Amino acid sequence: MEFLEVKNLKVHFPIRGGLFNRKIDAVKAVDDVSFQMEEGKTYGLVGESGSGKTTIGRAIVGLNKITAGKIFFEGKDLASAKNKSIRKDIQMIFQDPYSSLNPKKRVLDIVAEPIRNYESLTRKEEKQKVQDLMERVGLSAEAILKYPHEFSGGQRQRIGVARAIALKPKLIIADEPVSALDVSVQAQVLNFMQDIQKDLNLTYLFISHDLGIVKHMCDQIGIMYKGRYVESGKKEDIFTNPQHIYTKRLIAAIPDIDPRNRDFQKNHRRDVQKMYDQSYHEYFDKEGLAYHLQHISESHQVALPHRKVD
Amino acid sequence: MDSKHAYVEETQEQMRSVKSPSGISIMWRELVRDKVALFSLIFLILITTFVYGISLFLSQEEIVTVDLFAIHEPPSSEYWLGTDYGGRDIFGQLIIGTRNSLSIGILVTLMTGLIGIIYGLVSGYYGGTIDNMLMRIVDFFMILPFLMVIIVFVAIVPKYTILSFSLIMTAFLWMGIARLIRSKALQERELDYAQASRTLGSSHLKIMFTQVLPNLSSLIIVTMTLNLAANIGLESGLSFLGFGFPESTPSLGTLLGYARNPQTLEFRWWVWVPAAVLIFILMLSVRNVGEALKRATDARQRRG
Repeated sequence: MEFLEVKNLKVHFPIRGGLFNRKIDAVKAVDDVSFQMEEGKTYGLVGESGSGKTTIGRAIVGLNKITAGKIFFEGKDLASAKNKSIRKDIQMIFQDPYSSLNPKKRVLDIVAEPIRNYESLTRKEEKQKVQDLMERVGLSAEAILKYPHEFSGGQRQRIGVARAIALKPKLIIADEPVSALDVSVQAQVLNFMQDIQKDLNLTYLFISHDLGIVKHMCDQIGIMYKGRYVESGKKEDIFTNPQHIYTKRLIAAIPDIDPRNRDFQKNHRRDVQKMYDQSYHEYFDKEGLAYHLQHISESHQVALPHRKVD
Repeated sequence: MDSKHAYVEETQEQMRSVKSPSGISIMWRELVRDKVALFSLIFLILITTFVYGISLFLSQEEIVTVDLFAIHEPPSSEYWLGTDYGGRDIFGQLIIGTRNSLSIGILVTLMTGLIGIIYGLVSGYYGGTIDNMLMRIVDFFMILPFLMVIIVFVAIVPKYTILSFSLIMTAFLWMGIARLIRSKALQERELDYAQASRTLGSSHLKIMFTQVLPNLSSLIIVTMTLNLAANIGLESGLSFLGFGFPESTPSLGTLLGYARNPQTLEFRWWVWVPAAVLIFILMLSVRNVGEALKRATDARQRRG
């Protein structure tokens, strides 16, 4: 039994128009995606804007309606009504630490919201629990009576994390948790996320477009393009042996800080871009979408047309 | 250790000093800064306490009792503002009338506010089909010629009180605020904090009223204040036309209505001028306060 299994997930958004506002077409935000996650590990979802990675995360946490396919969490179907209670085992960290905290609420009320929904504690126990959570995420316990705008971006994201771990969930969907923070704070928050992962045995679904961060955080990686998987595998598979041209291009785009490599990097990037332009039609079908995934090793899957493998 | 402690204290001190003010204190600062609005607010508070206070000692029956020996008296020490064609004391009517007008204005504002907020919040928060249906009902109410409907109602209902008159007005005045709240709720529900509440297990009702509603508070305060002025004006207008209260229940509008008699209009200014001036000043004051509050909600327009 997998910890989390996503099976042929499709999330389509209708485009309405014409007479009587009929459904005339659909945006295929997520189109037939399957993957599995292991407990205690971090799974990275990578892709450009609009590739559907956030939609997958939101579908798992229940914010987006699933068009087709199934999501199993510890063997239980998330869509069925009788499994409502397992929703509390799946929590989310949002991308924007500014809009994800209600500006009119004190930190105490923000962090206590899930506790009030699922546990019946007295005011005093609740306050104690919130203070513990605040200390766990490295904020002062006295700060619970403040409002979100009195904190910096990094601190606010920590409050978001405190809220997400309040119910001791098993899976946390981290939707670009650091992309709204400046770089010095990014590392701080990421390392802290790794620390609490060890402490609480959390599993992360880490959604990001920053391959450098993904390399730092993730054990498994899935790369998406236009709602489909392009390549998936272990971190080593993706970074040392990328097979799909899109992956190659993404990896070539990771900046290298060493100025001595600058010319080499520049040429390398140009070569990959040339290769991408030339072989685009070999890797993508007529509509510009990726093919279905095929195993090329035990852990490594790539979306290649049939003839490529044969 | 000591220096670290001092540092912590210092940063806490800094945090306290840069603490941004809450919504209410921003509104208060804006009011204090805008001298006209501040004066208006003080005037409003004074006149309200004065009117409600004095009317406790005045008897409405006594004031509206006809006294044929005192018809059309000009202002004197006995009748401070003279009497009308029934020999009724204008000053007493003015006090009672202002109280009645204010009561209706406040009652209508609160009731339309309550209905409009709940309706708009439900419509905007759920969106989609529910929003579509609820908004078509609003459209239906909006195309009704409501002034005419109110006049018909007033003609049908034999004996109406402040409450029943307010209910009639409320039935046709809640749509504006409902639409306003709905448009703002549509924006708010898309924000991450509302979505986050879903993932944290809060019900829709709970999110609507404990998460989204507090974020609409400044909008609600501003709209209700401006609506108050409009509602006082509307009541006066209806009464002036003779479709509000009868003369036995004085309001600012009924006093003004005496001016429909050309004789009164030309020669007996004391009957209607005080009421006209009071309506003017009241509405202007409420509006001044409302405008200041409105500016307070937009950081670019603030003066404070």
